[in-house]
Amino acid sequence: MKTLLSFHPLFARHRGGFLTALLLSLLTLTAGIVLLGLSGWFLTAAFLTTAAMSFNLFGPSAAVRGLSLLRILSRYGEKLSGHDTTLRVLADIRNWLFLRVGPSAAQSHHALRRGDTVSRLTADVDTLDSIFIVAAGPLATGIVVAFGMSAVLMVLLPAAGLVYAVAMASALLRVPALLSTFTRRTGASIVCLSADLRIAAFDLIDGHADLIAFSSTDAMRARSDAIAAKLAAARERLACIAAIATSAITFLAGATIITVLAFGLQALEAQALSGPLLVGLLLATLGSFEATAAVVRQVAKFGNAVTAAERLRALADLPAPVTDPQNPVPLGLGASLVLENITYGHDAARPVLRSLNLAVEAGSRIAIHGPSGGGKSTLASLLLRLRDPDAGRICVGGVDLRDVSQNALHRRVALLEQDAPVFIGTIRDNLRIALHDADDAACWAALAKARLESTVRAMPMGLATPLSEGGLTLSAGQARRLCLARTLLSGAGILVLDEPTSGLDRATELAFLNDLGEATAGRTVILITHAALPSGVVDRVLHLRDGRLDDPCSSIPATA
Amino acid sequence: MTKTVGHAPDRASAAPSPASAPASQRAQLAGLRRHGGLALGIAIALPLAAGLVLVGQAYLLSRVLGDAISGGRPLVDLAPDIAAFAALLLLRMTLVFLGDCAAAKACERIKRRLRDALTGRLIDKQSEWVHARTSGALAGAIVDQVEALDGYFSRFLPATIQAGVLPLIFAAAVLPFDGVVCLLFLLTVPMIPLFMALVGWGAQAASDAQAEKLSRLSGLFADRLRGLQTLMLFGCMDAEAEAIRTATDELRRRTLRVLRIAFLSSAVLEFFAALGVAGVALYVGLTFLDMVDARFTNLSLQAGLFCLLMAPEVYQPLRQLAAHYHDRAQAKGALAEIALQFEEIPPAVVRGAASVALTSFARCPQPLGFTARGLSLQTPDGQTTLLLPTDLIIPARRHVALLGASGVGKSTLLNALARLRPFEGSLQLGEDRLEEIPEADLRRKLAIVSQRSRLFHGTIADNICLGCRDADDAMVRRAADIACVTAFSDRLLAGLETPVGENGLGLSGGEAQRVALARLYLTNPSVIFLDEPTAHLDPDTEARVLDGILAFAAGRTLVVATHALAIADRMDTVLTFRDARLVTARRPALHVQDHAA
Repeated sequence: MKTLLSFHPLFARHRGGFLTALLLSLLTLTAGIVLLGLSGWFLTAAFLTTAAMSFNLFGPSAAVRGLSLLRILSRYGEKLSGHDTTLRVLADIRNWLFLRVGPSAAQSHHALRRGDTVSRLTADVDTLDSIFIVAAGPLATGIVVAFGMSAVLMVLLPAAGLVYAVAMASALLRVPALLSTFTRRTGASIVCLSADLRIAAFDLIDGHADLIAFSSTDAMRARSDAIAAKLAAARERLACIAAIATSAITFLAGATIITVLAFGLQALEAQALSGPLLVGLLLATLGSFEATAAVVRQVAKFGNAVTAAERLRALADLPAPVTDPQNPVPLGLGASLVLENITYGHDAARPVLRSLNLAVEAGSRIAIHGPSGGGKSTLASLLLRLRDPDAGRICVGGVDLRDVSQNALHRRVALLEQDAPVFIGTIRDNLRIALHDADDAACWAALAKARLESTVRAMPMGLATPLSEGGLTLSAGQARRLCLARTLLSGAGILVLDEPTSGLDRATELAFLNDLGEATAGRTVILITHAALPSGVVDRVLHLRDGRLDDPCSSIPATA
Repeated sequence: MTKTVGHAPDRASAAPSPASAPASQRAQLAGLRRHGGLALGIAIALPLAAGLVLVGQAYLLSRVLGDAISGGRPLVDLAPDIAAFAALLLLRMTLVFLGDCAAAKACERIKRRLRDALTGRLIDKQSEWVHARTSGALAGAIVDQVEALDGYFSRFLPATIQAGVLPLIFAAAVLPFDGVVCLLFLLTVPMIPLFMALVGWGAQAASDAQAEKLSRLSGLFADRLRGLQTLMLFGCMDAEAEAIRTATDELRRRTLRVLRIAFLSSAVLEFFAALGVAGVALYVGLTFLDMVDARFTNLSLQAGLFCLLMAPEVYQPLRQLAAHYHDRAQAKGALAEIALQFEEIPPAVVRGAASVALTSFARCPQPLGFTARGLSLQTPDGQTTLLLPTDLIIPARRHVALLGASGVGKSTLLNALARLRPFEGSLQLGEDRLEEIPEADLRRKLAIVSQRSRLFHGTIADNICLGCRDADDAMVRRAADIACVTAFSDRLLAGLETPVGENGLGLSGGEAQRVALARLYLTNPSVIFLDEPTAHLDPDTEARVLDGILAFAAGRTLVVATHALAIADRMDTVLTFRDARLVTARRPALHVQDHAA
């Protein structure tokens, strides 16, 4: 609940819209109640009147027509403005989450499951709509209406008024409260099971070939179906609890009607209340319970909303591994890089990097070799400040990374990740991620440097060729080169290339390595690779061993 | 252009068949309905019974009021009627409750069947088909679009039947009291569906558009989240957030368009309902005042009140139908979207036919070779020929390295040989034509570890067990040893029980590849295909991994697509892929012949 309230600021921005919806729904309800009451009164009075001519027929009948029309219009307006406002809020929440979640999710060690995150950003956000349209709105109007109706009854039929007030309070507060308590756990499991179902689907889609190859499809299908079965059972349980609540409200409404009827008939006998007024009151009471129906329907979804809010909050509150300094200093000039005494490890007792030192002058190229899992990629992530070292410092252009803003750093240092993604979009879109105003000439030049130009030229649509998700329309080697081209296109002065030639055949690899000097002229390059390097590709070759960099043949270029 | 990754590619690239026509959608919904079974029948019948009870309640209430006000009877005389009224109330409450529960049961059953059918459909498709689609949209179809059918079965369907039956019953109930009111009901009621049908057309179009937008949004999210770190490092987060806002805003506009029409249709209904109620009130009032005289006898207060109480109830089922009208539009939109993503709704689930059980054959570990005749391959879009028609024989137990420049089609060839993608020409595994071997049988005989193996959510050990569900810890450990998985997993606190996420987050590329390889060692295939098994590995690890592969592959047929000459050196034969032809490079040479030669 507290979590739910923490989303309040995002809702507050749309206060006007919500207020309009609220007022309109109040108008709708009131018009409905008055309409029913008035008709009842009018009919009975007409029946009892003896002098037809003296009976004011036109006032009430005009009022009946006016109220009907008013109710139709206000209901239309209420629904429209309520939904519009809610959808706007949801868009805000999504946007806010993406910005908020992005950095921490990107840098987090926790393997955030993509299916789960997608679920949170789409389905969970949608679930939040039940908070307004759904629970808060009808509840607020219901309470206002209940107060008004109670007041009227208190004056005309005090005893029945008391019963009405109690019944209404139960219907609007007690029943929903109980309902939300009982549906809390079921709602939570619905939200989680939906996310699980999505993850199972993603597993099946992304791992399709593996599953077929290992004929594990039946097990996977059974897993999905087991989740779907649990989800179905949870939803069914929720529907039944909601049906119980509906019954409770029906019961309260019926009991109230009977009470009003009994007390009213008593008053009629005692001549304390006229017939027309009795019928009018009875019908108005009946009408006022319309306010409670909507509350039940929606409160049943409350459990889902609370869980969704908690999941969103959890996502938003993931600790960011690194934060910007309070007063970032500008990055020093030049593309030099110095690492002093760097120690880092996921497990502090067994650090991957120990007191590592490295100095790279601006414009020079170094290669780092080392065994798999030896910390090469970890070193790359430290250079981009995706995480901070446990000890020591890293300086770019003479300034500690921790003193500059991450944006400034990312403009200076670009990384080709080992598993760099290709995005849905055209080849041009994928390149322009690195430099948004790059023209076609620049794109072609970058593709040429990555040895992909001729391949793209051969495609009928050239740079405008659309790529499917994960670049699966390209071969692994082509996708790799596209990501490489993207990195080369960026304006960064320091390039960190993590296995840029994995997936390339040796001939292409050699050609690329031989071109590297020209392709990255004037830039500092950190090349992480297993490939045997021809002479002249880099100025120095270092080995990452036991968490340290050693320089087996300093200043002598390595030969293949 | 702003700094965004642009829009999702058009579905044109996926070339789906045109979405099913509305008529067949209606048939599909009817087909799905069958899965609801008895529960759905109860969900439809009970509200009708509750409607009948309502007539009794209105009758009793009007009688009590009439007797008290015009007859002046004391409260004690009326007590039995009031008690009966209370009893009916309880009865109706129970009926509605049971009806609600049955509706939930029925539609959960339907959704589960459909989900399972879609999952099955996904499994039956070829990997290439699956990968040509946006994963977020496919997953969205199974999770969200199926959920969108809920309202149709749990609310719209019962409401339709009620709207067809209850107003007539109510009108008939009024007939003994007043013919004019009955006539008024019978005249106004049919007007309503007419108007609604008009409004419904627009609602459908708008709803389809909305379902499509939702699909796109899911696809966009899934894609961007995959590459979140890259986007952040290139400073694209703000631009991407903006793109997502635009997409979300578009979804809002579409949703609102659906809702506006839905609300309009219910407003039309409300208008008619109000007209009807006001008409009855006015007629009864005027009759009481003797200003209208359409009857032979005097109208009693009870009859007048009964008419007035019934008036809103006559229109209530129709109003409910209108309120749930967008459930139908939504369901149809969802079905159309599922059909678009999956090319069709699995016919079995809409026809209710039982699915065919897979026949399984006895295990046959005999060595098998491959024979290809006139085999040719093209890129999925059909633009480029990867392999010209070629004959190729790979004898049983031969170890073959498949070399070639990146993108030349090595992976495609392996996938075709493993029946994971379409090909032209004929392929034989041993003595059998590849396309005639039952799926389960083929997968037992043939193992493939692809270049981009997926790590599933679970522990490292779980992932290795994919090859053999009932492997014990020792077997898993041994497989992990051979694939050099233990070389890194032993450094982790939880060892092989370390959880790995979707896409193997947390493991490096080389580590994930070795986990995928370890799966192989729990199987017993005759033929093994490996695609770049040692990418991302340093030479030492590469050599050890290769030792494991060769030890396992002894006595089996092995084809390895690779760039690593270290691997090629240790194979019997090298096959080089160049200019859409295969060239055999070393003794013992394979029989290769391309048809052009």
